[in-house]
Amino acid sequence: MNYPVWDLTTFGGGFFIALIAVVHVLVAHFAVGGGLFLVTLEQKAYRDEDPALLEYVKKHSKFFLLLTMVFGGMTGVGIWWTIALLNPAATSSLIHIFVFGWAAEWVFFLTEIVALFIYYYTFGRMERKKHLLIGWLYFFSAWMSLFLINGIIDFMLSPGAWLENREFWSGFFNPTFWPALTFRTGLSLVLCGVFGFVTAAFVKEQQLRTRLMRICAKWVAIPFVLMLLGGWWYIVALPGSVSHLIFEHSPEMTTYLRTLAWATPVFFAISMFMALRLPNRLQKVLCFGVVGIALIYFGAFEFVREGGRRPYIIYEYMYSNQVFVEDVPGIQQAGFLPTAKWTLHREITAENMDAVGKDLFKFQCSACHSRGGPLNDIQPLVKKYSNIFGMDAKLNGLGKLNTYMPPFMGTRAERWALARYIVKEFNHSSAETGNLAVEDQDLALEIPPFAKDTDEYVLLAWSTLGMKGISDSSERWMMLPPGTSIYAQLIKRGDSPQIVTRAVELRYEMDAEFRTPQEKVAFWEHAEQLFGTQLEPGVGLAGMGLSGTMRLDAEHNAFVAAKVPVVPYPAGGGFNPYPLLTITAFDKESGAELARTRVVAPATTEMGCKTCHGGDWGVADVAGFTLATGEDILAAHDKNSATKLLEQARGGHPILCQSCHADPALGAAGKEGILNFSASIHGWHANFLTERNGAEACAACHGIRADGPTQCFRSHHAQFMDCSNCHGTMEDHALTLLLHEQQQGNQRAAVLLQHLRSRKVKEVAQIEPRAPWSQQPDCLTCHTDFGVGMSVDAFNQWTKNEEELYRNRHDQMGAVMCAACHSSQHAVYPATFNRLGAQRDSIQPLQYQGNNRPIGNDCTVCHTVQPEFEAHHPNSLRI
Amino acid sequence: MIPNAALIPTPDAIPVAWGWFYVLLVLTFLLHLLVMNAMLGGGIIALLNSLRRGEQNTLLSKEFSYKWPYTIAIAVNMGVAPLLFIQVLYGHFIYSSSILMASWWLSIILMLILAYYSAYIYAFKFDSLGALRSWVAGFSVVLLLYIAFLFSNNMTLMLQPERWSAYFADGGGRFLNTADPTLIPRYLHFVIGAVAVAGLYLALIGRFNFVKSTVNPQTLIAQGMRYFTIATAISVALGFWFLLALPKNIMLLFMGGSIYGTALLLLGLMLTGVALYLGHNRQVIKTSIATLALLIIMVLMRDLVRTGFLAPYFSMSELQVIPEYSPLIFFLVVFAGGLALVGYMLKLALECRKEVE
Repeated sequence: MNYPVWDLTTFGGGFFIALIAVVHVLVAHFAVGGGLFLVTLEQKAYRDEDPALLEYVKKHSKFFLLLTMVFGGMTGVGIWWTIALLNPAATSSLIHIFVFGWAAEWVFFLTEIVALFIYYYTFGRMERKKHLLIGWLYFFSAWMSLFLINGIIDFMLSPGAWLENREFWSGFFNPTFWPALTFRTGLSLVLCGVFGFVTAAFVKEQQLRTRLMRICAKWVAIPFVLMLLGGWWYIVALPGSVSHLIFEHSPEMTTYLRTLAWATPVFFAISMFMALRLPNRLQKVLCFGVVGIALIYFGAFEFVREGGRRPYIIYEYMYSNQVFVEDVPGIQQAGFLPTAKWTLHREITAENMDAVGKDLFKFQCSACHSRGGPLNDIQPLVKKYSNIFGMDAKLNGLGKLNTYMPPFMGTRAERWALARYIVKEFNHSSAETGNLAVEDQDLALEIPPFAKDTDEYVLLAWSTLGMKGISDSSERWMMLPPGTSIYAQLIKRGDSPQIVTRAVELRYEMDAEFRTPQEKVAFWEHAEQLFGTQLEPGVGLAGMGLSGTMRLDAEHNAFVAAKVPVVPYPAGGGFNPYPLLTITAFDKESGAELARTRVVAPATTEMGCKTCHGGDWGVADVAGFTLATGEDILAAHDKNSATKLLEQARGGHPILCQSCHADPALGAAGKEGILNFSASIHGWHANFLTERNGAEACAACHGIRADGPTQCFRSHHAQFMDCSNCHGTMEDHALTLLLHEQQQGNQRAAVLLQHLRSRKVKEVAQIEPRAPWSQQPDCLTCHTDFGVGMSVDAFNQWTKNEEELYRNRHDQMGAVMCAACHSSQHAVYPATFNRLGAQRDSIQPLQYQGNNRPIGNDCTVCHTVQPEFEAHHPNSLRI
Repeated sequence: MIPNAALIPTPDAIPVAWGWFYVLLVLTFLLHLLVMNAMLGGGIIALLNSLRRGEQNTLLSKEFSYKWPYTIAIAVNMGVAPLLFIQVLYGHFIYSSSILMASWWLSIILMLILAYYSAYIYAFKFDSLGALRSWVAGFSVVLLLYIAFLFSNNMTLMLQPERWSAYFADGGGRFLNTADPTLIPRYLHFVIGAVAVAGLYLALIGRFNFVKSTVNPQTLIAQGMRYFTIATAISVALGFWFLLALPKNIMLLFMGGSIYGTALLLLGLMLTGVALYLGHNRQVIKTSIATLALLIIMVLMRDLVRTGFLAPYFSMSELQVIPEYSPLIFFLVVFAGGLALVGYMLKLALECRKEVE
């Protein structure tokens, strides 16, 4: 930071420039147009030999003198004062580029002042023609000063070819110069009518007053056309990115655009209204009303112009916080503080962290954000960040997708320091994540009996997903409904074991405290609105409940309890993501019990949205949603994607994300042109979680943090791998999905892609695209030929389709499903890291073989005669 | 601790050789000074005379009151140009010092508006105000003195980067350079000097009968020259105080250290003596010539002081030049045209006055 920054709090964010500039332009443009008004009216008075009109012109010129010379002129100087105080770097750039333009403008100020004083003081004494000439010279000077300042102001918004050639004339005659000049000239002329109303209202003679009102109304009406044409031309001439920001992207601009939308016709209408014969008392009040509307109109325009330029003060040259665009890469490398002059802190220590954060906020944020003040108050904007991680993630993604913001500039340590400052200073919190560390538990576990000598059947069961996530915010929206699917295979033991699918009935039953999920979550109250189906309480989306009879899935040679709506909230309270399910196999005919086993039916609501979206955990301080979090997500979506989801949800129509975003997991087709759900959510959020190591990014949202209550990655793989070994880092993961969408022709993917860099592979081009859910990492990538894993990098090689997924495959014989012996993905045997008990995921290995290894240790679990060749898969006799 | 020089921002490149800006700066600053002296000094004189009884005293104030509003307008306008050029050459210094005293600096705008409107009230309602007019004039004068004081603060602070680390104690823009021993003598020297020059203007107005009121032109000359002589004498003393308050190495520039500086001081003192003598003898035009020459000397001395303070940190020749001369030519053409236009309009105005009379 080259210059010191004036430490403004309440009146920060550009308050002073907004105030001084808006009042100045109103009077200054009047100062331009008013010259023409005076001269033409004077001419008319001479032509018509109208002394009363002439007297009015003289009076009006006194008003004009007092208003424009003092207030207009001094506030103009005031702008100059203010910009040097609020943005010296940009002021210096502009002054050094345009010094001679400004110097020329000064000359015209001088001739303007001399002309106006002479005009006023010699009124009635100077020969008419000469006096009119003085008036015309005034108008010419005033318009020239507008001409010259216009070039500089428009340069800031659209520097045009200057960015390449650095030439004064290219910068001055930039792409929006002529349109803006037309607009402003029109507006200057309109304003003389407006201010004319004021002086006319105080004319005592009624007939003259009425005439003057009509004249002023004409002065508003006719140039209004020029103004509107100029305005339209201005819009057309705007650089594409500016236009996009103003009209499509920036939510804040909507307010100002709406103001313009009503203020413009009101401005016109009320001015025309003044032309009617109104009682003088009303005229005296209404004339100020017109000035007021004009101020609102003009202010809205200037706010749009200034706001449309974000995040730059000089477009694509200097950011609003005074950093040169070309300096940013250097700053990202070396850090912001080491490259700033006006800071005492060159490096971050434990002692100076508060001061560092304060400095970073002052230098990077305060240019636009006031503190508790009227302009872009930072406090409501950061209110939801009660932990540093969330705020830091926001800064991580700054300016990438919300292009009206600049990027955060600095090292990660600086970013963290700034996040820490914001959270501490504005939200009075020092929480790093706001997540409690959860202790391990060892819940009582019943292992069903197995008599190896006499039992004829082995019943194996597993859940199709290692963990079923549930988005517990159904009052407002849903992306993952309850529905844990459990598969089972019944094996008749023998010399040649058989998968039994006929003449048997498999019944399943959730443990008692999980049988009334409808009392714990609101899902069933909203299921019809969300899914269009009437669901009985406690019944899942496949029509199956918390207990019942499993269905035969002939294709897979297995039985399934599909989409059991188990929810991790036991009846007695608390949070349990690993509830247990008992499955009993019966002979259909005789009703005899053939086998019984138990299995974890995982479900979790530990979704970390609250870390960034505000609110807190909804259940037991470790999981679930509060309304605040749920609503903020919709609010963010509304803001970023111009939707009205929050309004809809609050109106009693909660949103199913997949109603627009295609998702194979829910069988949703989505809507044309919208990215599929996984690509959207990962693609968006990847921008906020870059450069994270291991599972850090994943743990922000998915219930996998090591000290969390779920910690779903609980197999032995977790000892030497994390999510990124198979799934890639957050950026890689998002890229696989976005590139696939891009391949399918979806244009939107490019926007989310542009700032993502691949990490596990050198270039983005090397990333293998994949469809969500059906194309996943393949175990055989590391376990070549079903052997011991020879690598720990399974990224970038995906199953071709759903059939090739681990959870859908069978052994070489097409008989036993892989997961029957090896258990669910993320919890493959041995899986001893379950937070609720080391043995919880190993019920069947313990039941059938007294260990926690894959089923078949040893083969005599099912084979009464020890097999000698590897029928299931190569290497199956290894152990 | 941060070394002082480390705080100085990096300046931007300039479009033509620095000499152009230097000449323009000095020239336009002189013009500003000439009008500013009339505005401030004249206001003080008008106030003093308002407080004294007597018809001619009152008429002198009234005469000034007619001229005050446009004098302020021109003084401010004439200030724009040197402020522009100083930002080109020394922007990295003046922006920094301005920000250190930002709250004070920004208040100037409001105070100036108030002082200006008050001057209009004084001018347009001189007679009807009666005894109240001293208060009105006083209000404007006090505000202008306040503004002048802030200018002196900024102009000295911009030269002293060694004081800038005060920013780290308080970045709220509340700093004033009161620890600088040159601040008060500099400020007073300028203010009293303004009174002197304004007195000379009044005498000139009398001498050329450029009066609007019924004041006796001889009164204007007599009083004007008296103000001039007394204020100049006091200014000399203040000038010596200013000189001695300077850091030793800079003071010595004027007392043997630099031929240029010493010549300026000697010439200045000589001219002062001449001006006092001529002023005492009421030789209005000759005094004016001597005073103009004196003002030029003082502007150059002030510039040498600036260069001296900044020598350890910066010199204008360091500025990078990225040449583009066509805008300069454009400006010079406009400047010449503008001056011609002003001349023409003034001619029309003066002719019209003569017609009326």
